[in-house]
Amino acid sequence: MIELKNITKTYSSGGGVINAVDNLSLKVSDGEFIAVVGHSGSGKTTMVSLMGGLTRPTTGNVLVGGVDIWTLDNKQLALLRSEKIGFCFQFSSLIPTLTCLDNVRLPASFAGGQKGGVDNAMSLLETVGVPDKAHAYPSELSGGQQRRVAIARALINEPGIILADEPTGDLDEYTEADIMNLFEQIHARGVTIVMVTHSRNLAARALRTLVMENGTLTEPSRTSS
Amino acid sequence: MVGILDPTGIGIDDGGFVTLTSVYDMVKTTESNETKRLLDVKPGEISALMVNVKPEYSRGDVATAIETQVSGVAVVTSKELMSSSVARQLEGLRPYMLLIGGGFWIIAILMIGALFSMVVNERRRELGLLQAMGATRAYIFRLVMLEAIQLTAIGGLCGMALGAAVIYVLKGTIEASLGIAYLWPSAGFIAVFSLGLLAMAVGTGILAALYPAIVASRLEPYQAIRTGE
Repeated sequence: MIELKNITKTYSSGGGVINAVDNLSLKVSDGEFIAVVGHSGSGKTTMVSLMGGLTRPTTGNVLVGGVDIWTLDNKQLALLRSEKIGFCFQFSSLIPTLTCLDNVRLPASFAGGQKGGVDNAMSLLETVGVPDKAHAYPSELSGGQQRRVAIARALINEPGIILADEPTGDLDEYTEADIMNLFEQIHARGVTIVMVTHSRNLAARALRTLVMENGTLTEPSRTSS
Repeated sequence: MVGILDPTGIGIDDGGFVTLTSVYDMVKTTESNETKRLLDVKPGEISALMVNVKPEYSRGDVATAIETQVSGVAVVTSKELMSSSVARQLEGLRPYMLLIGGGFWIIAILMIGALFSMVVNERRRELGLLQAMGATRAYIFRLVMLEAIQLTAIGGLCGMALGAAVIYVLKGTIEASLGIAYLWPSAGFIAVFSLGLLAMAVGTGILAALYPAIVASRLEPYQAIRTGE
């Protein structure tokens, strides 16, 4: 479970202070599929980054599996990011100097390497539909293919949580639908997914939709699974 | 002939060594009386004695002392390896050369440091992504430092090779302009000297990349990913 308790995140900008996230509290249960929608600058990306321990809240607590992640030392936090959370970022997030296969295996090397075998990585590339691109470099792939490889990479350590920030941001509607199908397959395995998106159509495919506005969350509706 | 000696830079470089038996054979077979006279060295006699004068003594003084104290000998002094005036000039230039070298070294550290700061800045997103995937700060620090070590080691090797090539090509010019004999050091000396230079190049890289590596390891993943987009 992920829990945000009275989280505020402020940034200094142009001599002023901006509350990107403003006294936000949220509980995400295991196995949920949540979509977070909102305008640009509403604080969606900051919120998922806070959930994944990518940025420290100004005030409040972030609990993952009941553990306040900002009480962990850097090594423990890195291990948590590696083993428990898979990230899918906006735009391409593959390391350009590594092949797709090595990109997929990379997070496993930070978690001890047990799950980073070639067979496991190839199996994930097959799951996301790009096994033939294993030895290609990211620059040789289309945007959709890069996004699929990034999803395979997020899954290599079999994390219980996937945090996806605009995972279909610059993709055409057909590729977007394919990527959403993938997320639904992943969710069906019991993985918790929190997905940030601009698209209300995509958000409708999640089980729970949250609307972010000016750093605060509202929950207009809840779909039963 | 059984071998060729390394050049010494002095007159004997053009000489040859033969056994006394060969000399006697040459005396027997030659028809020239003058050659017979020159080569006629009786068993037990010596024709020449080489004296190695320590640097703190004047070779001229030693030659004069031998000529005055030992009758019947002619003293021949070898050509200077390096004329005393050149040696004095080089000795005088040494502090300035060290100062200039040290200055260039500091500039190199600053420039390599600036270069690595730019590299870290260019790769902020990648470094942030690595942290998001589970890389520790220590890993990021090691990554930047290892790249610095690799690059400066390659740079050091290229520099040494280039320097050696330039010296090889300009050897004749150096000899002519300074009026000194140029001798290649022994293989052992070259090996130790090269290792020292390589260590210095790598040390320069380590010093230069230290600050950028610390900065890279302290990047907040979220900020690094966002600002690197």
